[in-house]
Amino acid sequence: MGVGPSTKETTLHHFRDPLLQVVSKDDDIDLLGIIIVGTPQDNEDKNFVGTRAAAWAEAMRADGVIISVDGWGNSHVDYANTIEEIGKRDIPVVGLSFVGTQAQFVVKNRYMDTIVDFNKSIEGIETEVVGENNLTELDAKKAVALLKLKMRKKADKR
Amino acid sequence: MAINDEIEMRRLVIKSYHISEVEFSEKTDIVDKSLYLQNSVIKDIIKEEELIDTINLNIIKPNDHDRWTNTIMDIIPISAKVLGILGEGITHTLTGVYVMLTGVDSEGIQVAEFGSSEGNLKEQLVLNRAGTPSDTDIIISFDVVLKAGEGHARPGPTAAHRACDKFVQQIRNVVKRLDGNTCNERYEFYDKIKSGKKKVVIIKQVAGQGAMYDTQLFSKEPSAFAGGRSIIDIGNVPIIVSPNEYRDGAIRAMH
Repeated sequence: MGVGPSTKETTLHHFRDPLLQVVSKDDDIDLLGIIIVGTPQDNEDKNFVGTRAAAWAEAMRADGVIISVDGWGNSHVDYANTIEEIGKRDIPVVGLSFVGTQAQFVVKNRYMDTIVDFNKSIEGIETEVVGENNLTELDAKKAVALLKLKMRKKADKR
Repeated sequence: MAINDEIEMRRLVIKSYHISEVEFSEKTDIVDKSLYLQNSVIKDIIKEEELIDTINLNIIKPNDHDRWTNTIMDIIPISAKVLGILGEGITHTLTGVYVMLTGVDSEGIQVAEFGSSEGNLKEQLVLNRAGTPSDTDIIISFDVVLKAGEGHARPGPTAAHRACDKFVQQIRNVVKRLDGNTCNERYEFYDKIKSGKKKVVIIKQVAGQGAMYDTQLFSKEPSAFAGGRSIIDIGNVPIIVSPNEYRDGAIRAMH
């Protein structure tokens, strides 16, 4: 359905968010802001909010997007759609998600070629241990490196 | 284009105060590095919350994690706004102590849906992560017992968060008054425009499906509940948050 104990980002996680810390400290990046998008129940709503998020990225003239999610399963439907909408707008996008063995993407598209899997469990599963499968500083650094590569590739093509 | 062409939009100062002892007392207060908690306030909170049966308040010392815990709903920092609004001005925050909200109903059903984390705390919580206490931190355990069957519809878990927030607010009221010059650490953050650099936006997809899946934004106090807007109620549509607003606790995880 949604967010499990080992992947959920607590309020403390948001307060000390490693992704924000890494991106905002990077001297090569002008961080435009953080878009918070929800995960509605209904499929039509999922596509609606994801498309609006992508439209925001385009309107902000973003050179790149890093998108993270702390849920999986059904939440990956929204996630895949939002990434596709960003990719269709020709904006380089890198994802961060728990995947492991248990949360292989239920839907995928060609823009999901750079997803950093922040699974930390040996078995690759939702262990129900709080904090275990959370995004860390290293995961964030990987995402930034991948995004820089993607943005450079796009610039080289022009 | 000019190098180092930076425009500073707003400044946020976060001052941290370290706590090394937490004790129950008749009055909530902070003296030196000790936090005193008035637990009689719990009675008043329960009176105001129809869906809550009981609340158990415990102080868990580091290395005392070999104990039962109900499913962990959230880990919350204790921060208070001293000057300005969320994202700018001055915020005080405590280090060395965090609040853990857990929930169950009176029939023993855990307040969780997509897996739950009840069990031995030692095994159910990974320490030293961004979202969890460190191995030297003290945990204030705020364990809510909801009335039978109330854990699986949105009002129950929301009541648990609201009750916990009322409890934390009395600590915030003390944290606000701490002398700014006595902080242990001081951090300055700027929302800035770095002209000529690659423009990047972070998107965070958060819970908003209903029941115990909700996310609150822009509460009155950092990382708080009161005054916040639920992502469900605003239709899950994208909301833009500045880096400083985010760092100042604009997000409350409600799941």
